[in-house]
Amino acid sequence: MTTRIGIGFSQEIDAETAAKDAAFLSKTNLDADAIDIAIIFSTIHYNPNESVPVIQTILNHPKVIGCSTAGIILSDSIESRGIAVLTISSDEMKFGAGYVDHLDTRDIQRAGALLARNTLADFGDHSRQAFLSFVDGHLENNSVLLKGIQEVFGNVFCILGAGSCDDFRFADSFQIFHEHVMTSAATGLLIGGHVIVSVGCHHGWRPLGKPRIIDKAEGNIIRTISGNKAFSLYEEYFGDKADDLHSNKFGQMAILYPLGIFIEGSSEYLLRNIVDIRPDGSIVCQGDVPEGKEVHIMISNKELCKQAAIDAAEEAHKGLSGKTAKLIIIFESMARLKLLGRMALEEVEHIEHIFGASVPIIGIYTNGEICPFQTVEKFKKPYLLNETIVVLAIG
Amino acid sequence: MDYISPYIWLSLSLFVIILIGMLLLVIIDKSEKNNKLRNSLNQLKNSFNDLDEQAKLIVKTDLDLNKAQEELDKRLGGLDALQKISRLISTTLDEEEIFTRLQQTLTATLNFEKNLILVYDEEKSLHCRVALGFPEESIPTIVADLEKDSGMITSFNDGYTFSSINSPKPRREYINQLLGVEHFVFTPILSQKGIIGLVFVGNQSNAAGITKGDEELISILASQIGQTLENARLFEQVFRSRQILEAKVRDRTNQLESALKEVQDISKTKSEFISAVSHELRTPLTSIKGYASILMAGKLGDVPEQVRERLGKINTHSDNLVKMINDLLDISRIESGRVEMNLSKCSLAEIIDNVHDLLTPQMKEKNIQWVAEVGRDIPEMMLDSSQTERIFINLIGNAVKFTPQHGTISVKAHLNDGVVTVEVSDTGIGISEENISKLFAEFYRIDNQINQNVKGTGLGLALAKKIVEAHKGRIWITSKLNQGTTFHFTLPVNQSSPGSISDGQKTERP
Repeated sequence: MTTRIGIGFSQEIDAETAAKDAAFLSKTNLDADAIDIAIIFSTIHYNPNESVPVIQTILNHPKVIGCSTAGIILSDSIESRGIAVLTISSDEMKFGAGYVDHLDTRDIQRAGALLARNTLADFGDHSRQAFLSFVDGHLENNSVLLKGIQEVFGNVFCILGAGSCDDFRFADSFQIFHEHVMTSAATGLLIGGHVIVSVGCHHGWRPLGKPRIIDKAEGNIIRTISGNKAFSLYEEYFGDKADDLHSNKFGQMAILYPLGIFIEGSSEYLLRNIVDIRPDGSIVCQGDVPEGKEVHIMISNKELCKQAAIDAAEEAHKGLSGKTAKLIIIFESMARLKLLGRMALEEVEHIEHIFGASVPIIGIYTNGEICPFQTVEKFKKPYLLNETIVVLAIG
Repeated sequence: MDYISPYIWLSLSLFVIILIGMLLLVIIDKSEKNNKLRNSLNQLKNSFNDLDEQAKLIVKTDLDLNKAQEELDKRLGGLDALQKISRLISTTLDEEEIFTRLQQTLTATLNFEKNLILVYDEEKSLHCRVALGFPEESIPTIVADLEKDSGMITSFNDGYTFSSINSPKPRREYINQLLGVEHFVFTPILSQKGIIGLVFVGNQSNAAGITKGDEELISILASQIGQTLENARLFEQVFRSRQILEAKVRDRTNQLESALKEVQDISKTKSEFISAVSHELRTPLTSIKGYASILMAGKLGDVPEQVRERLGKINTHSDNLVKMINDLLDISRIESGRVEMNLSKCSLAEIIDNVHDLLTPQMKEKNIQWVAEVGRDIPEMMLDSSQTERIFINLIGNAVKFTPQHGTISVKAHLNDGVVTVEVSDTGIGISEENISKLFAEFYRIDNQINQNVKGTGLGLALAKKIVEAHKGRIWITSKLNQGTTFHFTLPVNQSSPGSISDGQKTERP
């Protein structure tokens, strides 16, 4: 029973050359003829319509999923430009891939269910361990998509997800499925077989100021907080700088100060990025928001961020029950990259230290993460999260 | 029973009063506690609000800190990128390669959506050398519009940098229209000779605005590009000059080689001619000399004294002619390699003594003092003794010729590193610098009074040089006018085979 992992990365300026180099390097490092799955991560500097066909050709058309990102996490560097290709060849792991597109015009929940069914159809009758999804991070509410996926896999099945994004401009992102390059789509990968999949996730953000109550919320839109229009919370805290939230610097600023919702039984608050402000002062969040709950403006710093990464890695490591990790995949909020800046690699160094230097590590910076989150309930249930680092360990 | 004792009434009344009093006390106490609690609650509320105000302050400070850190990170990243680009472009002196490297690294390292590098040619026309993020077809229009904008070009010439944070609105709008970006830095590439090009970087997205740090960074980059281009151009100039020079040297060498070949051919022909002519001359000369001897011996009858005297002259001149022909033949043979040195172990001192004995009468005639200093450490040498004798005969004979009465001729020889250096000096009239270089040429005779009076062939020194060189030695002259001349030559102590004389060999002076 063997599993081989190959990771290739290139920063060549030309998309085709970078794709070729990354694919060749990945294939060389894999050292196997058959590729069961290839995962492509690319920054938006490369035209995926040029890079993906090259990778497909070099890898001999395996199952491929992937997405755009704000940065690529490698074991020895954080790259804000480049193409990374992860290839897996295994006789113990099973993979099924699927996708759903045109999410902007579909019923999102039904699209989520369709994505799960498409992926399941490709997977067959093997034991399922986890479902991995790359979703358009610019969609307003991916919680609904998650609900659709949960309709098929159940509420407590391990579902992980990453919102595709660009280089902090919040304008372009893409998703990849086999030879298709899409926007406003979601791709899924069902992982199963004789492997252990363990996950840890933490964010490290802390509540600031007095608690308020979400008086009125519908789905991912908060109408009023403590009797005032929802946006007045930000106006109170940011003063005249809150004007930036209306400008297109909005995303860059908002991701550092998300809303934190207290969830009973959880050691950490459930974070919600605000993605839009309506003219009536309502706040549009990236995921569903429960009515009647306590809400805070949240804040973090570099030390808390790094500690959260350590906590997430230790949690994932513990879940392997002593088994050695074969691969670590990290989905990490782009807000953390912004906050950590040049110290971002230190997180990866801590993770590498926990799992061992020989374990291959690859990851991306995301706009929204999906991960099982410990609450008062007995089983961890997947939530759409923000500002989170998700460490997926496959052992 | 209806009667209630006044005591009882009094007691009851007192009890009620006490009860009411107590109740009043309790109520007052509770009210006070309520007030305290309300006060505490208000205090708590105020503290909470204070804390919230502090939280707002923290958020604002955190925002400022984040912005400062972002700018710092950007600057550090920019410096990293600048260092990387500088290293890349400064390691080549090929102008094309500089732009190729810039094309490859600008976007990747600086992360601007659009990058443009324009460079002036010798006619002061702008040419695009790097264009990233621009459609190819838009470049000629951009270049043409920029060249027309004299105001902007003048500002660039003055070293002014335009950016979206320092330019007036009309200028920003113009650049936005021309280059399609809201946020930009546009700066001249300056060298010591003035402006040599322009660097432009820009972003359209408002999320990626330009900062003061970007402006400084791009200005530094432009300076770096300017310096590198200047170095490359200087190198190119030097390289071209060198190539021209090398081509000239090559041509001249070729010319010299052909000339040398021609000279060698002529020399060979000359040697062959001299050899042939000498042989042809020697035969009739032998007959002339033979017949003169027969006549002088009186074998054909008595010869009058006047005739005998004339026959004696014929004999002497014939001898001179034979000697000259022999010298010529020797030179020609040595030059053509037909004569090999017959090497054997011999004593240099003995050779010198023999020559001294031979020339003693001439020296005595002029009262010339003879000095010979031959190093005792000089071993027996591998020499062709008869040819070596000819060297000494020619040099000492010459010295005798040019040394006045009571002069001195000295011969010194010393050993150094297996080579014997011989010096033949006289206290004669000396030789001018101009003549020294010509002295070893065949038939060359210095135009002076002594030479006009004393006969000579002009072949002695040429022959001596050929013999020295055939022994793998060197010969040269030092002289001071009116003080004397020294002929120096070297002879190796041991040599397995004599050197062949090639036409290319030259007489060297140390």
